[in-house]
Amino acid sequence: MQEMPIFKSKTMQESGVKKRLWKSLKQIQTSERNLYGLNSEAVLYSSINAPPSFKPPKKYSDMSGLIASYCCPQSKIFYHNSEEYKIVKKMPSDIVKGYLTLRGATSLV
Amino acid sequence: MEVLVLKDLKTVPDIVHEYNPKELKGQYLIIDNGSFQCRAGFANKKQPQLIFKNLVCKPRKDRNKKETKEEIQQQAPPATLIGNDIVNIEALRFQLRTQFDKNVVTHYFLQEQIFDYIFTHLGINTEGKVNHPIIMTEALVNPNYCRSLMSELLFECYQVPTVFYGIDSLFSFNFNDDIKGTALIVSLGYYTTHVIPFIDGQQVTDKIRRINVGGFHMLTYIHRLMQLKYPMHVNNITLSRIEELFHEHCFIANDYIDSLKKWACHDYYDTHIKKIQLPYTQASAPTQLTAEQKIEKKKEMSRRLAEINARKREERLIEEEDQLARLEEILESYDDEEDSEEFEMGLKEFNLNSYEELEKTIAATRTRIDKIKAKMQAAETGVIEEKPVVIPQPPDGVNVEVWLNQLREKKNTILEKKQVRKQRRIDLAKRRTAAAQERMRIISRLAGKEKGTDDFGSRDEDWNIYKKISREQDSDSEVENEKLLELDEILRHYDPMMNAEEDEKMKMTPAEYHQLHFAVESIRGAELLFQPSMMGICEAGLSETIDYVLKLFSAENQQRLVDNIFITGGIAKLPGLKERLMKELMEIRPFQSTFSVKLANDPSLDCWNGMKKFATTTENIANKCSISQQEYLEFGGEYLKENCLSNRYFKSPIERQDNSMM
Repeated sequence: MQEMPIFKSKTMQESGVKKRLWKSLKQIQTSERNLYGLNSEAVLYSSINAPPSFKPPKKYSDMSGLIASYCCPQSKIFYHNSEEYKIVKKMPSDIVKGYLTLRGATSLV
Repeated sequence: MEVLVLKDLKTVPDIVHEYNPKELKGQYLIIDNGSFQCRAGFANKKQPQLIFKNLVCKPRKDRNKKETKEEIQQQAPPATLIGNDIVNIEALRFQLRTQFDKNVVTHYFLQEQIFDYIFTHLGINTEGKVNHPIIMTEALVNPNYCRSLMSELLFECYQVPTVFYGIDSLFSFNFNDDIKGTALIVSLGYYTTHVIPFIDGQQVTDKIRRINVGGFHMLTYIHRLMQLKYPMHVNNITLSRIEELFHEHCFIANDYIDSLKKWACHDYYDTHIKKIQLPYTQASAPTQLTAEQKIEKKKEMSRRLAEINARKREERLIEEEDQLARLEEILESYDDEEDSEEFEMGLKEFNLNSYEELEKTIAATRTRIDKIKAKMQAAETGVIEEKPVVIPQPPDGVNVEVWLNQLREKKNTILEKKQVRKQRRIDLAKRRTAAAQERMRIISRLAGKEKGTDDFGSRDEDWNIYKKISREQDSDSEVENEKLLELDEILRHYDPMMNAEEDEKMKMTPAEYHQLHFAVESIRGAELLFQPSMMGICEAGLSETIDYVLKLFSAENQQRLVDNIFITGGIAKLPGLKERLMKELMEIRPFQSTFSVKLANDPSLDCWNGMKKFATTTENIANKCSISQQEYLEFGGEYLKENCLSNRYFKSPIERQDNSMM
């Protein structure tokens, strides 16, 4: 056991040893919402979330980030031009998956 | 174009400051507890004495090592490393933990270790007590539950006299501007971005909005992009290196689409590309052989091969001759009537049945011997029968070049087909790919056909479906492989430099091989702030959120807010942010209206400076608004005294007990 720093209260020394499960932020938010109810005037952590975007998301090439006018029908990768398409066609599936996950476009199967 | 060398800076462990009780008596201890960095120090110091990343490295026990109990007792447990003590952060990347969940502290045991670190390094040595009033930051709209745990920790574990909780961006605003004024505060943090309307010295709490995108997302986004772009360097592209790149070479594009159009140009790409040199060890490359040496080596090899063959032939010759002798012996014994038994034995020895077979075998052996002898002679004289190589000529009336190009095209189509098949094979082997799913779909459809109505097989094409779902059909066809060889042969004959050219292209110096091209990535990461959709986050971007928040106010207040837009937080240091925001505001605001955007003097340090200003220049307010230990005991851990710099306090309702049923 590491030595307890001198400035710590002696009565607290044992409590640090115990393992305790800490609530995640999500759990805290849920219990907070339940506690206050729907009609509360209180501003909670969950009530100041930004609104969803009203603009359609723009499409960018997954590899280069350039404006993507095309989408590979097989892999669903966005690409900029024919040169990129050549690479897309030969792209191993784990890289494809990585790009799609990064863009949040993987379908849950 | 420039080649950048990574610095790979290491942190320097913090010193333990000297604690002077006389000088520091009653001084405020200021802790800016940010989710990226923690900055702590006494209010009478010019700048925070400690600045470290809010990280704890909890060493894990080596599970492979089985130690006896005695050994465990003898060895001190590996020390927990905190903040700047973690010198080699990449080696410990997977053991790092933080007390934060997004921008809120949720893990208070880790927070306790961080506090221990802070107080120890500030040299505090008073027994059983940290006898300094504390000013620290908490998340905007921090849940009461979290505040109560933090208060519990501070008051009970460290026995602090008072605590003041404030909001980082408001402190920063306090340092840069008049806290009694009006402003639209944009705070750009590590996990979150806040848009805070602040009117007449008061935040308008219900109109604050938080975008859950921050520096962390930008970093991980670029990190992953670079890893996917260079899969061979996955382990070399570390988060710390990306952090370095991000801090030094990333910026915010003024017009993102326009910049992308520029990047699509090859000339622009070539002049603006940043090449990042990864460290590498110079492999001792095999000394390049000259063409002559190569030929010499080949000759040597073939000579040796010939020798081996000759020796083998000699051995075989002797063997065959022995056998012949033995067979002839048996043949002789046949003529001799007395030795009939011996003859039978001899036949058995060679697995033969009759005299005729014996004769046949002898004849066969003789021809084999003759052949071997002929070969040996040929090898000695060096005359090797060579098949005349027939190189196909181009068909009449066709230019050789054109013909060759056609052949090359043919070769490429075959190669492409092979590639596609290979990809399909790989895809089919995995479960979650489109190809594998399509295959499963067909199989289930085949199996699911209703009885009676099934007319499968009435047409010949029906059977093709089995080809489609078979994994076998994808093997490269023999015919194609042969054709490919043939094409290669012809092409090589006409164009011996074919492969050399390709080799030249592939040849890179090891330094070039270890270079990363940092192109659109320099603006791509920071763009997440304005387009979170790039990462699949459906929240509105910064300018959209500002627009949204503004529309919650009357026209008059809107104007007052945009006349003083204040940006703070570490991400605000990205070049181009202010210009970009001006451009976005121009689009949002009415024609010819005014607005002003101001950046914090030092976006990452001004929060601490603001806290210091609050503690030193308005000490009486700080005193009045701090929560004392007495109040903590009386009102509970979540209690908060409201102040223009703090959160609003919404007292938790007492949990309703359902009495009506009783």
